Amino acid sequence: MAGKLRSSSAMALAAIAFATLSGSVHAADLVIAMPNWSSGQATANILKVALKEKFAIEADAIEMGTLIAFTGLNAGKVDIHPEVWLPNLDSLVKRYVTDASTVALSPIGVPAWQGICATRSAAEKYGVRDVADLSDASKTAALDTDGDGRGEMWIGAQTWSSTPIERVRANSYGYAETMTLLEMAEDVGMAAVDAAQATDQPLVFACYAPHAVFKLHDIVRLTEPPYDPAKWNIVLPSEDPAWLSKSTATVGWDAAHYHIAYATSLRVRHPDIAKFLDRVKFDPEEAIAMSYALQVERQDPYEFAKRWFAENSARVDAWVKP
Amino acid sequence: MKRFFASPAHRGNFWRGLAARAAIVVFALGSVCSSANAVETQVYDIKTRTWVDYDRTKAYQFYVKNKQVPEPFRRQLVKFRTAEEPGTIIIDGNQHFLYLVQPNQQAIRYGIGVGREGFGWAGIVRVGRTAEWPTWTPPAEMVARDPNARKWASGQPGGPDNPLGARALYLYEGDQDTIYRIHGTPEPWTIGLSVSSGCIRMNNDDVTDLHSRVKVGAKVIVLMQGAALYKGV
Repeated sequence: MAGKLRSSSAMALAAIAFATLSGSVHAADLVIAMPNWSSGQATANILKVALKEKFAIEADAIEMGTLIAFTGLNAGKVDIHPEVWLPNLDSLVKRYVTDASTVALSPIGVPAWQGICATRSAAEKYGVRDVADLSDASKTAALDTDGDGRGEMWIGAQTWSSTPIERVRANSYGYAETMTLLEMAEDVGMAAVDAAQATDQPLVFACYAPHAVFKLHDIVRLTEPPYDPAKWNIVLPSEDPAWLSKSTATVGWDAAHYHIAYATSLRVRHPDIAKFLDRVKFDPEEAIAMSYALQVERQDPYEFAKRWFAENSARVDAWVKP
Repeated sequence: MKRFFASPAHRGNFWRGLAARAAIVVFALGSVCSSANAVETQVYDIKTRTWVDYDRTKAYQFYVKNKQVPEPFRRQLVKFRTAEEPGTIIIDGNQHFLYLVQPNQQAIRYGIGVGREGFGWAGIVRVGRTAEWPTWTPPAEMVARDPNARKWASGQPGGPDNPLGARALYLYEGDQDTIYRIHGTPEPWTIGLSVSSGCIRMNNDDVTDLHSRVKVGAKVIVLMQGAALYKGV
């Protein structure tokens, strides 16, 4: 899931994965690109188990970044990617799916969400339920941890492409006046949620779903006006140094989806598998449970996948049938 | 005791106030891990609904009277739901707590003292090395300014009067020493206050306990809360 956000870290991973991929010999029939986030790892392993059990195909799930995965799909070195986020990866999709036609996307996507979250305490004790409440100084005073009268909120990691957009949103909605916006690694942001929950502190933070935090804690999603392209004018930092002053966004994020991608050649080499991949369907709650199992319960991804497969055999059968 | 510590329902305000209302004079940047300095802290009194002064003197008086720090700052096992692995340390300077993550969604919570400038940063580091009864070497600027520090210019041996206390955990970023430490203190009454200039202080029993449980290499997450941590963000 984090793939939608972490474009730059994906590049770093891509380089490592490329070296791994190029330098090894695979006895397996197929290669699945495995993301470094938990729901992607779970899905990669579920596909690996399903391919083995239903198609007698051995697949290697190899961790690699999104860019190298697409390069591999294009070059025939990778066969499947379990989570391709849209619209975040639209540029890669245009290059490889639309233009080159070397990569195909499953038509079924898992709906994803991003926005602003609050702990139950912030919502119920202090009335922070809508993004408009973040501009109400009488409410955000409860979120102040440094005595300057303004609340604090984590808006994402410095490397995430979503973080500057959260800053734009804060400016446009007006709560940049009442809140100090913090950028920090996700583990720090999430540990702050853990600590706030442990002491019943109110806390507001940028968040996205599916994510394990929704099963780990009692989290409330703040309401806000729905996405409207006419009110979403984003200039990225890479495009213009004055991006912040030139951008406005007074609505929620556009709905995102993630899809399975596979090498188009699979339709010829293994048409039954391509058909199967086009039918695989997970719901968001299931993806949260996958994240929780791997990230919080620290279940081994492959063992988790085997259990999941055993418990969902009827669903898998429906995906496999000719 | 009630005068200074609110009921759990109000603890949020109290703890935030404890940090928020503190106004500490700190040593110059770089003089990390120095001992306590002047402090002017307030805590919220829920009976009178006012902020009352709580300084080193009052903290000391409380400690002398009770022989221990206030209950919230005492070592205790608490419920702590997290995705972090057991063995991870999470430092919440704002609330003056250090958590050592345990199995089964629990953590050992210790009271800590921090600098008004907090750690000066937030992020992820690790325990690079540890020491028992560590030597303390005052920073050069302190040696230049403070005659008491001058005599220890080449290092004060470990012992009950050493500002680093019984144990020190040295925090590294990659293979580099960050110059920040989690350490003990000869002044246990300062736990819960923001009165030093950069390091995390624990009473000697607690830092000894933490030291016995922590492995070199353990992940340490320093949270963002605390005024100085926001500077430059």
